[in-house]
Amino acid sequence: MTEPVEVETTGRFLVLLQEDAVEEGLAELGAIAGFDLNSGDLDAETVQVFPELGVAVVSADPNLLAELNNAAGRPGPVQIVEPERVVHAFQDDDAAPVAEDVAAAADESVLTWGLQAVGADVSTATGKGVKIAVLDTGWEKNHPDFAGRAITTRSFINGEDVQDGHGHGTHCIGTSAGPRKPATLPGYGVAFEAEIFAGKVLSNAGSGSDGGILAGIDWAVTNGCAIISMSLGADVPAGTPYSQIYETVAQRALAKGTLIIAAAGNASTRPGRIAPVGHPARCPSIIAVAAIDVNRAIASFSSGSADKIGQIDVCAPGVDVYSSFKLPETYRRLRGTSMATPHAAGVAVLIAEKTGARGYELWARLVGTALRLPLPSTDIGAGLVQAP
Amino acid sequence: MTAPVDQVMVSVTEGSLPRVLDDLREAGLVVDTVLEALGVVTGTAEVKAIPALQAVPGVLDVERQWRVQLPPY
Repeated sequence: MTEPVEVETTGRFLVLLQEDAVEEGLAELGAIAGFDLNSGDLDAETVQVFPELGVAVVSADPNLLAELNNAAGRPGPVQIVEPERVVHAFQDDDAAPVAEDVAAAADESVLTWGLQAVGADVSTATGKGVKIAVLDTGWEKNHPDFAGRAITTRSFINGEDVQDGHGHGTHCIGTSAGPRKPATLPGYGVAFEAEIFAGKVLSNAGSGSDGGILAGIDWAVTNGCAIISMSLGADVPAGTPYSQIYETVAQRALAKGTLIIAAAGNASTRPGRIAPVGHPARCPSIIAVAAIDVNRAIASFSSGSADKIGQIDVCAPGVDVYSSFKLPETYRRLRGTSMATPHAAGVAVLIAEKTGARGYELWARLVGTALRLPLPSTDIGAGLVQAP
Repeated sequence: MTAPVDQVMVSVTEGSLPRVLDDLREAGLVVDTVLEALGVVTGTAEVKAIPALQAVPGVLDVERQWRVQLPPY
């Protein structure tokens, strides 16, 4: 799958420059595209600069796109290069309701549809003795369903403790390691006896950066977590190189017995557009998780293998997912590859418990035992993860 | 006007920590966190210092840090 063919481009390129290094960025652009900012005779056709936005629009030979993308991939002031697009008003068809909004067809009186879809209901594994780190917005420490559970927490966000002021982290922890028999049914946790490490790497506003995420990974590896679940990422244009640093980190983590599982991203608007796998899930040594709905159809938003860099590895339930949430709400239904990721991470915990597998062996067992579905591998990878 | 500064992450070869830190500082890195289990150092550096960081013996890669943002509900 490549970029959808219906996207029209103008033959010019949008270049995002680092906002506080616009001049340096323009100099780098000029060196590639063959213009000299200081020559004084540049016309608006060659280069237009929007200093307030940190954006330049450049006319360049299409053959230069690869070189511009290389510049964007390197550290430095040129951040993102995209073809300039022609935009049109939306047709009414785009507003048609999508099937996944229809109420779930599954019986959730005892367990969520997601737990049933991954076979957690028929598995004897519980996750006991296996450590899982969930790196997210933190943890609702007063949630009634987790009273008595051993949960190790740490915040990597300056000025915020681990208490989850957002809800996303509490939801992901619930899916991966929450209870099967809470006071109020349904049960919603895959690896319900796993030892939980809740690392706050996203703020209460839901934002974070690589520094905090890497610190969270380091903490999880140092503590011997077998699995790291990361329902986070940044969307990138197709063709963006994966981060060499995250790839190195993921390989080193695997060598130390820690498997990193990350959300593919929610940037698609299917069926019209399939967006590429985001950062950092697009690294080859990180498991990228796509989302399916209760009818085992791909979720409309689920990012896919849209270029040759970011590949989907597996899929898991990610639409209409019921789990724990920050108080006073206590529970919420959410959708996203963020919700699919902790399903896959919880299944990985169960496999780790039952087989003793860690690192790449655990990767192989998770992917190898996934249930094949009649959907493109570019959408769901090997298939729907299955509890052992 | 102050020089533009980047938040960066630096991966280094196995076993080169903490030895490489002095060289990184000398090359312009203000060290934030040393992640020993991963062999990664995070910090800030002037944009123009990045090639010098890349040239430090033991350094594998230097990249700008990305920001991530959860979508609103």
